[in-house]
Amino acid sequence: MLLKDVELTYVSPCLADPQKIRLKARLSDDISEVMPYLNSVVKGAIYNHHAPNISFHKEFRLITLYPTEMTMIKALNTTDAWQVIEWLKELINKTHEKKDEIEPSYERKRRPHPLQLYTWLPATNCRECGELSCIAFAVLLFSGQQKLERCKPLFTEKYREHKEVLMEMASVLGGGEDIRIHY
Amino acid sequence: MSIYFDNAATSFPKPEEVCEAMLQYQRELGVSSGRGAYKKALEVDGMVFKTRSLLGRLFNIKDATRIIFTSNVTESLNLALKGLIESGDHVITTHMEHNAVWRPLKVLEEERGLKLTVLSCPEGEKFNPGDLEKAISPETRLVVVNHASNVTGTLMPKEAGGICREKGVPLLVDAAQTAGVYPIDVEELKVDLLAFTGHKGLLGPTGTGGLYIAPGIDLKPLKEGGTGGESILERQPDHLPDKYEAGTPNLVGLAGLGAAVRYILDRGLENIRRHERELTQRALETFPQVPALTLYGPSSAEERVAVLSFNLGGLPPEEVSYVLDEAYHIMVRAGLHCAPKAHRCLGTVDRGTVRIGLGIFNTEEELEYLTKALKEIAVQAKS
Ligand SMILES: Cc1ncc(COP(=O)(O)O)c(C=O)c1O
Repeated sequence: MLLKDVELTYVSPCLADPQKIRLKARLSDDISEVMPYLNSVVKGAIYNHHAPNISFHKEFRLITLYPTEMTMIKALNTTDAWQVIEWLKELINKTHEKKDEIEPSYERKRRPHPLQLYTWLPATNCRECGELSCIAFAVLLFSGQQKLERCKPLFTEKYREHKEVLMEMASVLGGGEDIRIHY
Repeated sequence: MSIYFDNAATSFPKPEEVCEAMLQYQRELGVSSGRGAYKKALEVDGMVFKTRSLLGRLFNIKDATRIIFTSNVTESLNLALKGLIESGDHVITTHMEHNAVWRPLKVLEEERGLKLTVLSCPEGEKFNPGDLEKAISPETRLVVVNHASNVTGTLMPKEAGGICREKGVPLLVDAAQTAGVYPIDVEELKVDLLAFTGHKGLLGPTGTGGLYIAPGIDLKPLKEGGTGGESILERQPDHLPDKYEAGTPNLVGLAGLGAAVRYILDRGLENIRRHERELTQRALETFPQVPALTLYGPSSAEERVAVLSFNLGGLPPEEVSYVLDEAYHIMVRAGLHCAPKAHRCLGTVDRGTVRIGLGIFNTEEELEYLTKALKEIAVQAKS
């Protein structure tokens, strides 16, 4: 077993959605070596081999794994979070166990789907970016015809977490290469 | 030395691990769960989750957030019944139910005009699944039955879940007498609401219990209040389990319950069931050797959990239990066992029964000793 234990260290409400929570946890063991394998088996994962870190969704929750830490955004409550952590532990340990059967992927990133981008936009349809709706903005962002910075609400404190997630995603899309990651 | 045969009321003794976990929580953790606090509080939160997820494993509940903690099965049943039943609904139940089902149903009859159909269980046998099928109408909102009777140990017919599922009626099962001693798989049983108590077969402390709520079932909460999170909301949060868990939970109890379920999983539920079935079989064979003893309920150990009711000639049950306690140091229960309607099926309304509830720590020798004591009492009563 690679990862024996996960310890929650910080929990607070999501800034943009106080109905949900965000959290940090400490991993008892270094999971760096399993990341390229997770990158192969988890659909839609975004992997940065040099950091290293890997992010992916579990339904509406966003998980980011670091060597000995993890974060989760938009969990429903701590029970929900613990349940996802249990699932994650199993995913990590099973993937590690089956390492020899999996082709690791060092691919830096995968292109996120426009709808994945949309999930993290404010969904205010404020039109400040010049588009009619957030969906339209997401599609244009995806095709490199819009820039994340044009979304004004995103750069307010309320959407800080969303902005960070989107920046990470946008950095694969062209259009946003100049943006550094702030985790 | 005394012998404890009242495990149907509450199990005793508890595994040492249970006592240790409670002591350890109280001595070394002792803080309240909930977030926005410090690591120790999050550790307690993790302990509560562990208990939830162990129960999930025991009952084959994949999503542990759908297990709500309560203070006992009485609260779980109240939450399920009062949270679901609306004005004019039709509900089906049986004569063998505990007052924890009866009394809330009676209140709902008065307050919400609930219409009740009660299935009969002649002589404490299980109800006829065909009767259940016939009783279901388009107005039926719920079927509520015990998984095993606390008077006769009679198990619910296995077909019940399938019938309810087919007719699209939710099934609420009172598993007070089966949780921890008889296999429960919510998928296989096809239950929509499973109510259980922590202090009987589950071997946990009193003041613990729970309710499993299947996806698609929405209940109105019994209470509102603090949830350790989402304090900014004026309304109770919508997500499970917080929606139904207002107030500081019974943390010391949940620490014990977690250890208890772990003990059951380690020992193996099949092994626990086998031990109790063998003891029950033994009792079913030897009790009839006692002169004038009338045993109630099914004659096969397969069809019951380790709860047996009987009467000894014309002796009042209280007198039998008194003599067993005074002269033999054997603890049994006498009376109606909170299920007055069940005694109508048995023909014992006027006096009740003597009840023994066997547990995993009981032995064949203890049972022999009880049989011997009963024989002596029977002989003395005659003379
Ligand atoms: C079948 C049944 N239902 C409900 C209850 C009530 O249990 P509790 O007192 O733990 O709520 C009991 C036990 O007393 C029982 O045997």
